[in-house]
Amino acid sequence: MADICYEDETSACESRPLWSSRKWRIGVQRFRMSPSEMNPTASTTEEEDKSEGIYNKRNKQEEYDFMNCASSSPSQSSPEEESVSLEDSDVSISDGNSSVNDVAVIPSKKTVKETDLRPRYGVASVCGRRRDMEDAVALHPSFVRKQTEFSRTRWHYFGVYDGHGCSHVAARCKERLHELVQEEALSDKKEEWKKMMERSFTRMDKEVVRWGETVMSANCRCELQTPDCDAVGSTAVVSVITPEKIIVANCGDSRAVLCRNGKAVPLSTDHKPDRPDELDRIQEAGGRVIYWDGARVLGVLAMSRAIGDNYLKPYVTSEPEVTVTDRTEEDEFLILATDGLWDVVTNEAACTMVRMCLNRKSGRGRRRGETQTPGRRSEEEGKEEEEKVVGSRKNGKRGEITDKACTEASVLLTKLALAKHSSDNVSVVVIDLRRRRKRHVA
Amino acid sequence: MLAVHRPSSAVSDGDSVQIPMMIASFQKRFPSLSRDSTAARFHTHEVGPNQCCSAVIQEISAPISTVWSVVRRFDNPQAYKHFLKSCSVIGGDGDNVGSLRQVHVVSGLPAASSTERLDILDDERHVISFSVVGGDHRLSNYRSVTTLHPSPISGTVVVESYVVDVPPGNTKEETCDFVDVIVRCNLQSLAKIAENTAAESKKKMSL
Repeated sequence: MADICYEDETSACESRPLWSSRKWRIGVQRFRMSPSEMNPTASTTEEEDKSEGIYNKRNKQEEYDFMNCASSSPSQSSPEEESVSLEDSDVSISDGNSSVNDVAVIPSKKTVKETDLRPRYGVASVCGRRRDMEDAVALHPSFVRKQTEFSRTRWHYFGVYDGHGCSHVAARCKERLHELVQEEALSDKKEEWKKMMERSFTRMDKEVVRWGETVMSANCRCELQTPDCDAVGSTAVVSVITPEKIIVANCGDSRAVLCRNGKAVPLSTDHKPDRPDELDRIQEAGGRVIYWDGARVLGVLAMSRAIGDNYLKPYVTSEPEVTVTDRTEEDEFLILATDGLWDVVTNEAACTMVRMCLNRKSGRGRRRGETQTPGRRSEEEGKEEEEKVVGSRKNGKRGEITDKACTEASVLLTKLALAKHSSDNVSVVVIDLRRRRKRHVA
Repeated sequence: MLAVHRPSSAVSDGDSVQIPMMIASFQKRFPSLSRDSTAARFHTHEVGPNQCCSAVIQEISAPISTVWSVVRRFDNPQAYKHFLKSCSVIGGDGDNVGSLRQVHVVSGLPAASSTERLDILDDERHVISFSVVGGDHRLSNYRSVTTLHPSPISGTVVVESYVVDVPPGNTKEETCDFVDVIVRCNLQSLAKIAENTAAESKKKMSL
């Protein structure tokens, strides 16, 4: 039954409604932009920037939703997607008005703002040798806009979630966790990142337990049984990138690694049950770690922290470990990935590979308007693998927001993991952190 | 919250152990079980020198017939065993002794699949038993017996006992701790399902 449901879902995802829905959203975008266009003082450059941001952000997440059919169905995703679109449009109009003031009052601020508007990133996910895809990825550039009298900054959100037991907890994290972080960020004046992230993760954990608010996709077998699915959970490694800082919150055994001046700097530490401090915490709570195909909490779960997994609380907690790292000129890129990658590839090897990709691409001095070739889906003969790649698109008029090099780097890492016989789903996000001055900005 | 504590005397070594039913703590809580011939007979296991055995007891506020209708489905264990993703009957019809099923385990657990044989299915005494005959896991020579008993207090008492080889590298206590977690989760979800079903039945009857 579960298999049949899966196939139906896949077919539905490939059907026309999704395409029609995309068209409709583009229409909404145009309508919302018209007030700004009527303002003669608005700069052409500013309009282009806003348009690109909105279009590409929406389009990117939408494309990922489409390719990640196994985790969510379009009918359930669309309402949320629409509301996000409207919110973006509303905010953009006010942005347009503010930029006039910025030009008039503080011209130099514009340069700083521009360089942080649109981080380049790429993502790749493969099912690998496991039958089900239970990973999920969330990409939300500009998910928080902070505005004061003197400055305007945007924060960007990237999250990787590795589900176990079923896919619906990871799918739910993908839909909601960035919204919870956004709420905490907008309500917190002091920017206490540790507390903000801890509250967000706690709220997320409670939400996945609460049956009434959980949206499960049709192919999630739990829906056929009972709402009390305690034995399902997910990792969550989340990064918020601001102009000054990189914040990482991690719960579970996915990982974030920064490449700084060619060296791998882990920004998270895996929550394995035999990590000495985790082992102590579990034992003090009355639990135990049993080596059963590796170290496992009660012999069952191979990680010591996770969202969900209610039956293993309090031994398996959802409290994240948070790191806040100041950005420097030496920062090159950030990698977020599931243990499907890190179990078989070292931090250093991953950084070396991504670095080669990014340096090769940037060395060509590609021009802004040049048309990009879409990233190609590769197929390895003889292997049943489902590869999902998003990021590269033909989009010459819009300029680059999702970077081909970052996407290729992500794809290469997933291929490397499979070549090294990873037996798990693999999901990788690569975020280019190098600061660039845009030539067209005075 | 899952309590890890369990009567240590439940881990037995030697022949013909009559487990938990005679242990003082259980005897106190369930006096009728210690006199129940079904419980005594079916929960007596031959335990080898490198094996361990244990039992889990669950009270369910639902009629015994409701609970039994879920437990007896050899062809659909994933209805209440949430660590199972799917089940297919690969021998027999799933409703008679000797039937074989293959179950696939959800991700994240230290097992992939299990092949199991139906050893006992007694609708009168409410007894079901299966043994594990293959699969991708570390539980060799696993045999489980589940019995249902009417309870004047809660409606039904479920007893599930098992015996299994201790895998190389693990202790008897570790093995029982691990299996008890799985069995306890299964019985807790069984309780929720049966109680929900019973509650819905009452609603319908009151209409």
